[in-house]
Amino acid sequence: MSDDRAKTLDVVPAVAFNGIAKTYPNGTVALSDVSFAIRAGSIHAVCGENGAGKSTLMKILFGLTEPTAGEVLLDGKPVSTGAAGFAGQHGLGMVHQHFSLIPTLTVTENIILGHEPRRGLLIDRAEARRWVVALSREYELAVDPDALTGRLSVAAQQKVEILKALSRDTRILILDEPTAVLSPPEIEELFNRLRGLSARGMTIIFISHKLNEVRALAESVTVLRGGRLTGTSRLADIPDDAIMQMVMGRAVEVTRRVPAKVAGDVAVVLDGVSTAVRDPADRIQDISLKIHAGEIVGIAGVEGSGQRGLVSVLSGMMNPASGRIAFNGRDMARVDALGWRRAGLANLPADRFGQGGAPALSLAENAIAGTDGDPELQRGPLLRGAAITARVRKMIADYSVRNSGIGERLDSLSGGNAQKLIAARELATRPRFLIADQPTRGIDVAAAAFLHKRLDEAARGGAAILLVTADLDELLRLADRVVVLFAGRIVADLRNGPELDPARLGPFMLGLETAS
Amino acid sequence: MKGNLLAGLVQLLVTLAVVAAVILVVLVPFALSQPQPAAVLTSFLLGPLDSVRHLGNVAEVATPIAFTGLAATVIFRSGLFNLGIEGGFFLGGLAATAAALLLPLPHVAAPFLAIVVGATVGSLACIVPGYLRIRHDASEMVTSLVLNFAILFAGVFVLNYFLRDPAAGTLMSYRIPADARLERLLPSTRLNSGAIIAVLACLGAGIWLFKTRAGLNLRIVGSSPGFATHLGLPSSRIVMMAQVAGGLIAGMAGAIEVLGLYPRFSWTHLPGLGWTGIIVAILARENPFLILPAALFLGYLQVGGNILAQEVGIPVEVVGLITAAIMLAVTANAIFQHPALLRLIRTIRQRGEASAS
Ligand SMILES: Nc1ncnc2c1ncn2[C@@H]1O[C@H](COP(=O)(O)OP(=O)(O)OP(=O)(O)O)[C@@H](O)[C@H]1O
Ligand SMILES: [Mg+2]
Repeated sequence: MSDDRAKTLDVVPAVAFNGIAKTYPNGTVALSDVSFAIRAGSIHAVCGENGAGKSTLMKILFGLTEPTAGEVLLDGKPVSTGAAGFAGQHGLGMVHQHFSLIPTLTVTENIILGHEPRRGLLIDRAEARRWVVALSREYELAVDPDALTGRLSVAAQQKVEILKALSRDTRILILDEPTAVLSPPEIEELFNRLRGLSARGMTIIFISHKLNEVRALAESVTVLRGGRLTGTSRLADIPDDAIMQMVMGRAVEVTRRVPAKVAGDVAVVLDGVSTAVRDPADRIQDISLKIHAGEIVGIAGVEGSGQRGLVSVLSGMMNPASGRIAFNGRDMARVDALGWRRAGLANLPADRFGQGGAPALSLAENAIAGTDGDPELQRGPLLRGAAITARVRKMIADYSVRNSGIGERLDSLSGGNAQKLIAARELATRPRFLIADQPTRGIDVAAAAFLHKRLDEAARGGAAILLVTADLDELLRLADRVVVLFAGRIVADLRNGPELDPARLGPFMLGLETAS
Repeated sequence: MKGNLLAGLVQLLVTLAVVAAVILVVLVPFALSQPQPAAVLTSFLLGPLDSVRHLGNVAEVATPIAFTGLAATVIFRSGLFNLGIEGGFFLGGLAATAAALLLPLPHVAAPFLAIVVGATVGSLACIVPGYLRIRHDASEMVTSLVLNFAILFAGVFVLNYFLRDPAAGTLMSYRIPADARLERLLPSTRLNSGAIIAVLACLGAGIWLFKTRAGLNLRIVGSSPGFATHLGLPSSRIVMMAQVAGGLIAGMAGAIEVLGLYPRFSWTHLPGLGWTGIIVAILARENPFLILPAALFLGYLQVGGNILAQEVGIPVEVVGLITAAIMLAVTANAIFQHPALLRLIRTIRQRGEASAS
């Protein structure tokens, strides 16, 4: 970068939005009259509730959708974001809230896609691999360059996304909720890298629902509410409750859950359960664990420590190679997914649009999926339209899902609203056993508090709950017991209480200590 | 809901605009090069609508492709690209002929039983590739294409050695007994009771797909296999059921075509109506309720072409070219509004943008 260019960047904002409005073709007003500027070389946070329009604004900046009104200025000059190759020409990189990787390609192939190193007409695979390895080392984001992307855990895919966004001469980096699935040490690592990038002059836009992250990383923050700008401020000038006030228009109280006095009978038993697979995320070894009715057991651990394997054997997605699994006294080791659901399992999967719902089907269809045989919703084979509409309307009202009609497709919802609808569906079955895998990933504070209340209610109603989350605050707020996984084994099984805090869990999560 | 309706209306208008544009670009210059330009235009565009007989012709042509379009819809909704519809159509016609000629069918139920035999045998063309896909993960597109040709050759063999009428000049079957043939509905057209079955089948399938639990589960399995697994839906069984249903419809289509139109079975190549069915399914956006208008539209184009050939004396090949151009444009337009394709294009574009940065 030449000297005088660096000078102009100091005064002219790298990005400025001027009167941006966006109305989706289905009539949803996602943004109206949003104007603010982002200083070059700064880290700028964008906050707001689910459906506030954060992703929409970023997609407009990245040229994925056109604004209905207003203009985007880069370095003070108006640009036409809709032009072909726009993002590449202006050095924009984006990590999407929902992954855009191709599952059937390897990590290397995904990262080089679109700018492959070539030798003659062929892709130079050795060079590409070397390059990806160097990139991963430079940014301290460890990935296996030869792994098939679809087989990776959600967190590992997130890292690939970040590397991909950095893989070109990126000047402006957009991160749409990048930390949602990373564990605390990984988040700290990522933040260090981002600070380094920003010191080198990169402008970073960062979306998160977590105020502590925003504070740790960003210099200033812009808040959106209901598609309108509520304000832009330097973080040094504004206290937390003022930001919450701007986000929600009111304050939300966050407290630890009070566990039930007496635990119920043992509901779920794992006894020496192991899986025989190579992928570390699916590999568990000699797991013995009991979950009582009315108890919330939280699983902590660095992503890929066996959480997915544990969830899979407890939901019938995978059968264990050895060991015993029982649910309310019944042997479940060989039972499939349908059998588990019939026995009373509800499951809130981490992969929202891949497993939690059908993006191309309507909200109503997603909300009633899996209720086969419910006499209220169907008469013989025929679905009862009016009853379904009434039921779905109620679910949407109870969970305050922001939507533009229950006939719209699921993927027209913002990420957090989609998760609320899926949670509404799963909890509607009044489960005896509930698996919640990253239940509030990407969900705003108010909605997260709401979902936590629902989980608490389910526990009070006698459900056994397995909570898998990368968010330690959430874990400590909800769980009665915290079980730490490391390399597929249980390294700690601790009763939750005021003395337990993230610092106490850290050494277990990194495999430095065991206590079980 | 209002948004959906509006979007549908916009799409329809776009399609109509495309048709108008193609007619302007292809048909008008061609008409001007002919001695009577106005006659060319009117006989092509208005000919199919100018008499009950011509309208009957349109319905007659639309019947088989409505069936195959429906078969393709059911199969595509399961997420498989099984092309066995073409082979199933051929096999259905052959098996129905064989049943009518060789089996001692009771008089009253003869057409019904012949159709049942045709549908059952014809469904194999879709069932086998579906099974190979589910059990052995073999690409259903490849196996169904290969199987289609295997069926053709086996079928010609059966025709030659078991059904051939030595008294007929060319390779064709014995005369199909009159009581096995379908009732004609309109004098001097070949419109038959099969058309009524087609209408009922499309309506029934639409209700099944959109208003029943089984239809919802099929759409979940086809559009989001991961979600289906999560719900514990029996995905393999549901996909297989769709192949059976699609195959039965394709086989039935072939049987009805032969029993409704021809005195003898004489197909020695694949009739191509299965392929047309795929176009119909795409035009109808895999919605059974829209199959009838889509099939009627293609029927209208073909009858217009026939009239052009007969009444104005334009060579059939030229007429074929014009209809093909219109069909191509409309299909291309529909393909670009096809949900699965749109999704594909969107993700490719996103990836392109993301990797270009
Ligand atoms: N493709 C679309 N079609 C129609 N409406 C949409 C579409 N995408 C988003 N919306 C709507 O626009 C509004 C803003 O959505 P957006 O995804 O920008 O929210 P967000 O702030 O990113 O929320 P979250 O924190 O949940 O990710 C929401 O009401 C959403 O339902
Ligand atoms: Mg978002």
